[in-house]
Amino acid sequence: MRQPAVLSMMQKNRATIAAELRRLLPKIEGFASPKTLPFGLSAVDRHLPQGGLACGALHEVVPGDGGTAAAFGFIVALLARVARARPLFFVIPGYGLGQYGRLYGHGLSTLGLDPARLILVETTHRRDTLWALEEALRSSAPAAVAGVIDKLDLKLSQRLQLAAADAGLPLFLLRPAQLLESSAAATRWRVGPAAAARDRFGLFARARWHLLLERCRNGRAGEWTVGYDHVAHRFSLAAALADPAFSRSTGEKFVRQAG
Amino acid sequence: MTAAGGPRLAALNKAAEAAGLVLGEPLTDARAKASELQVHAVDAAVDDAALRRLALWATRYTPTASVWNAENGADGFFLDIEGAAHLFGGEERLMADLSDRLENNFGLPARLAVADTPGTAWALARFHAAPSPVLPSGREAEALAPLPIEALRLSPETCTTLRRLGFKSVGALLDQPRAPFAARFPAELLRRLDQALGRIEEPLVPIIAPPVYHSLRYLLEPILTQEAVVAHAKRLMQTLVHVLERDDVGARALRLCLYRVDGAVAAVDIGLTLPTRNVAHVARLIDLKLDAVAATQEAGFGFEAIGLAVTLAEPIPARQAELAAVAEGIGEADRTERCTTLIDTLRQRLGPQSVRQFAAIASHLPERAEALAAVNGEASAWPAPEQTTRPLLLLPRAEPTEVTALVPDGPPRRFRWRGVTYEVAGSQGPERIASEWWRDPLPYPPPQAGEDKKGAPTRDYYLVEDADGHRFWLYREGLYERETTAARWFVHGLFA
Repeated sequence: MRQPAVLSMMQKNRATIAAELRRLLPKIEGFASPKTLPFGLSAVDRHLPQGGLACGALHEVVPGDGGTAAAFGFIVALLARVARARPLFFVIPGYGLGQYGRLYGHGLSTLGLDPARLILVETTHRRDTLWALEEALRSSAPAAVAGVIDKLDLKLSQRLQLAAADAGLPLFLLRPAQLLESSAAATRWRVGPAAAARDRFGLFARARWHLLLERCRNGRAGEWTVGYDHVAHRFSLAAALADPAFSRSTGEKFVRQAG
Repeated sequence: MTAAGGPRLAALNKAAEAAGLVLGEPLTDARAKASELQVHAVDAAVDDAALRRLALWATRYTPTASVWNAENGADGFFLDIEGAAHLFGGEERLMADLSDRLENNFGLPARLAVADTPGTAWALARFHAAPSPVLPSGREAEALAPLPIEALRLSPETCTTLRRLGFKSVGALLDQPRAPFAARFPAELLRRLDQALGRIEEPLVPIIAPPVYHSLRYLLEPILTQEAVVAHAKRLMQTLVHVLERDDVGARALRLCLYRVDGAVAAVDIGLTLPTRNVAHVARLIDLKLDAVAATQEAGFGFEAIGLAVTLAEPIPARQAELAAVAEGIGEADRTERCTTLIDTLRQRLGPQSVRQFAAIASHLPERAEALAAVNGEASAWPAPEQTTRPLLLLPRAEPTEVTALVPDGPPRRFRWRGVTYEVAGSQGPERIASEWWRDPLPYPPPQAGEDKKGAPTRDYYLVEDADGHRFWLYREGLYERETTAARWFVHGLFA
């Protein structure tokens, strides 16, 4: 009878030790701010070490294959979920979007982000981009900072990570998939497009993205397909089993036959 | 100078005067008098620019400097030294200092005069026997009387006529009754006379807009480093803050003038999002601006004077958020201030057009429906979206694409864009957007029935998704069979 009790004791000890370690690790790692930006999806939030995206940290977003618009959409969705009342700063190099045109205010509004909250900063050099990002973080005036950058080495990413940690603000950086180097970012997301969710009339209801959590400090990699509801600013998990392309094609066929 | 009978002399140096040359003499005569004469053609634009630079330099004495125009001879400038003379220990001292600096820095022997009216000062500077006369108040008539009539800044024709009539000096004119002169001479004569005597006002056109508040500091030793400039600018701002506080206003635009030892003036303009009295903030902005300016400007032998002027002052708006801030515990006003501080800082380094905000425009055409405007302090409200299908990224201009559709006015089935073929898995539309005829100028003569309308064709927009989930915004230009028979397709945007 003693053996199981000891075992349970040990197990309990292990659980408490693990919990204690989980609590301590972020402090050791330098996540100063305990605040997080949760996805509102338990599957994703439980996966992340802080139960959400850490607020005082650098998060990288990398577009997957042909996913530049999806990556922008993911960043805009995250920005839309950040607390209201304070402006958001988006630093975009003049050459940055290049062939992808520009951010469209009515499109932001469609994704649930009030364009009046967003302040666009246009830069001409990478040096200026980094300076503007750091300046915005250090002033701690905005609610969140986002930016587009082409090249970022470890040292510079550490600098940005420190600035974000000091300010307790999330910093989202869109980086091109071709020029990835190691960085001090807390997470790196590779965002690709996924077939949109349709309503029962066959109209596009929600944007969907394929999220690949490539790197996560103190956590594991993960992969989800999420939808984003622009009215409620909520993420939702696409059914893991139902292949949207499959279900839609049959649905369409059915509608056509009926029509 | 070109005139009847060939080129004439417009200006002489000392050596030429010594050789007996006279102003206005034909060049051929001058060459006969002095064989080794060096001649340069007059360039009025260059002379004017040089005079302007000199007048700008002279703003180190007083903010109001006015360059003489052609009427005044275009060879000097007025300085309004009222209220500025005491800084130099009196008018004589100021004139001595000005004369010294003109001689030493620029090599210009100058004729100076101080009087109550610009007209009298001009006359004394040109025709008075003493080098730098200072005329006491109210003695204009007395001082002008012995001077020749040219001292009144009259046109050459008027002068010639007066001389023919026997009026050689101003004094002779002063005693005469006014009515006959008013009848026989252009209005110019009496106007100039009155201006010289101070009977009517003569407004000066300043070379730079006189600032609302101004603070100037002369340095004993020229300074060279950026830190020193910023430190002095900070002290100047501190002196300005008292005046700004007294008038309950803040600075919206500032100008920092750096007077170099060799006479050049560098002006640095600083604009602010909201009026401010914050010394540290202004100092930071100046520092940032100097970083940017340093590449093009050089300090030379250093700066001998620094002036800081508030060129635009506005009342500081009362903050309404005070109550909310108390309730929240965090200073909301503080946050607003931090935000404007940040915007100012970014603007100083990246340029005034680099920090912008979306502004909605009431237009149906997607590319016209918004603009980027400079952030103006308060956030503008965004209209509630009418349509939910608007792309996140709008291409700079719609790109032509090859589309396969089942029927000419049906949705696309396959399209090729930037070298990639996309099979359409699902589409939504069309959303029909007609051209805004009220913007386009009316075609004249108006189109007859059956004739093509000249306006931009109607567009049918489709939201299109391919099998991988890439979402595009395509449109077909022209209504099939009504506006065109071969519709063209364009990609206009990308959805998230």
